[in-house]
Amino acid sequence: MVTSPKMRDLARYLLSYEGMSAKSSESMESVTLRVYEKLRHSLSAFAGIAAFESLAFRALTQAKSEAPSLWAVQIAADGSLQGLGEFESQIDVDKDLAGEYPAGEGGTILIDRLLGLLLVFLGEALTLSLLRLAWPEAALDDCNSENGRKA
Amino acid sequence: MNAQDRVTINKLPTGVPGLDEIVGGGLPEFSFNIIAGAPGSGKTTLAHQFVFANATPERPALYFTVLGESAIKMLRYQQQYTFFDPAKLPDSIRFINLSQVVLEKDLGAVLEEITKEVEKANPAVVVVDSFRTMVRKPQSDMDLQSFIQRLALFLASWQATTFLIGEYAEDELRDNPIFTVADGLFWLRQTTERNSIVRKLQIIKLRGQASVPGLHTFRITDAGVQAFSRTFGLVGHLKDPPSHRRLSFGIPELDKMLGGGVREGDSVLVAGSSGTGKSVLATQFIAEGISQGEPGIVAVFEERPQAYAERATSLGLDLDTPQKDGKLAILYLRPLDLSVDETMHSILDAVQKIGAKRLVIDSLAGFEMALSPGFRADFRESLYRMIFALTGIGVTILSTVEVDESFTEFPFSTYSISFLTDDIIRLRYVSIDGQLRKIMVVIKMRGGNHAKDIREYEITSKGVVILGKRLTEYQGLISGVPVHSDRSGSKEDHSQDTGIEYDT
Repeated sequence: MVTSPKMRDLARYLLSYEGMSAKSSESMESVTLRVYEKLRHSLSAFAGIAAFESLAFRALTQAKSEAPSLWAVQIAADGSLQGLGEFESQIDVDKDLAGEYPAGEGGTILIDRLLGLLLVFLGEALTLSLLRLAWPEAALDDCNSENGRKA
Repeated sequence: MNAQDRVTINKLPTGVPGLDEIVGGGLPEFSFNIIAGAPGSGKTTLAHQFVFANATPERPALYFTVLGESAIKMLRYQQQYTFFDPAKLPDSIRFINLSQVVLEKDLGAVLEEITKEVEKANPAVVVVDSFRTMVRKPQSDMDLQSFIQRLALFLASWQATTFLIGEYAEDELRDNPIFTVADGLFWLRQTTERNSIVRKLQIIKLRGQASVPGLHTFRITDAGVQAFSRTFGLVGHLKDPPSHRRLSFGIPELDKMLGGGVREGDSVLVAGSSGTGKSVLATQFIAEGISQGEPGIVAVFEERPQAYAERATSLGLDLDTPQKDGKLAILYLRPLDLSVDETMHSILDAVQKIGAKRLVIDSLAGFEMALSPGFRADFRESLYRMIFALTGIGVTILSTVEVDESFTEFPFSTYSISFLTDDIIRLRYVSIDGQLRKIMVVIKMRGGNHAKDIREYEITSKGVVILGKRLTEYQGLISGVPVHSDRSGSKEDHSQDTGIEYDT
């Protein structure tokens, strides 16, 4: 399954956004987990733990087909992510922000797939509304908006 | 207590077209309401419409989902409705899932969770969907009644207007404590009538204000739930004082037969068999109105508006221009499964939009066929309500009805509805001199004078044209097979005979 570049951009943005507040030594696994946990908290409150767990499991299955490094990752019954980062390298926040060294590909793909599922089920407007709950300070305007995040 | 000493209960818009009138102007603020009905009856959609109509960032809506449809799927579908504004999420409308608390804990924990979220958000509207799934689980410390009581008290204290949504059967109405506590009880029904689905809404209970009693039909469209009040939205519309004005058909001889024309605000029935010119007469009535500056509506059921207008053109009547000018609306109300209330809604919309003074319903048989079978059984009663409502706002109605031609009887209608009409014009075929000719007679004009003449007429390129004088040479004309009375040689002069007598 190929998701839209928009969702991939959004996933990268969220990882970068969280990476900005990360210490330079913080692992990319940690940043990915931070993004994932915010999504889990927000979506579980919105749709229930079981609904989030189902979505996350589906997203992980899709992501694994593209990112072998995720092979050991599991979704627990409460929707939490287990086993992430065993093969992921350390994040370099400065490089990541400069776009030279994107956050861990596995994590990006997983977040991308999760956002992609939300996009499929809810559409862009509602997906961004839900993300605003988790990242109230982030510029999550319409990805196409010239005044938005990419501007 | 004086009226000014009483507390004023604000009425909130329901967001459902037609429902505000049914509930008496809007939903009482801070009320605790139940929306009950079978799956698929529109409960969630109705609640969403209320939420979207009332939630603001300052006073948001909290929408608690429990077991059942996931919020993701629910919003996937709900966002298809035109009332759904995604910009209202998450600041004005927040969805919170309680399924884990319900599954793992007791009702006390559920109440605690709701309390926590309400205190945090200070919502104006709270919805629990589905409340029924929440209380199905065996209860522990707190019994159901206490839970409902505390929930209702808490939400009212926090000045929230609340909807609990649940799948309830009607036999639960008697002994379910939730119905006792509720201020408002909305029951949505969906029944199958032969091959048709009929949706009806009933306000079983509403504290603090009078709602319109009875079952109101509703429809779920792209715009969500739309309710059709049994009063047709005409509560408070007072009839203009009778004008005593006579409306012309544009056929001078017929106007004379009617004592000068149809009285404004009357309901006229034109009855006759196929091909006798009922629709032609109706078209002339509308066209004449337009030429007199009286906008009109034609509700057609048996042909499309374009065909109707083209047929008028063949009679030298231009219906296209007044349509473009907003002085005429031809409504095609053919879809099956209509209720009279829905039909009325379409007609009233058009009446209000163009300020119509004349309405043609062509024909009652087509109207009946367009109704769901369940509504056909009540057709007569529905017609009564419809005619009463429309003439009540000063609209003059002309309905056509096809009657079987009989040579032993002279029926006015197959519906036994003559009592509903003020005036009846009967058209029929007669066999005269080896020809099938047409005669017309005014049977009744309530409260007015009319001619008793039986007149022959033809349908020409100019429409209905009444010929000569009344037919005095034949006996038994209304039987359809008259006998020549051999008075053809009579020199009697009828030229001064208006034939007008007062109805008794």
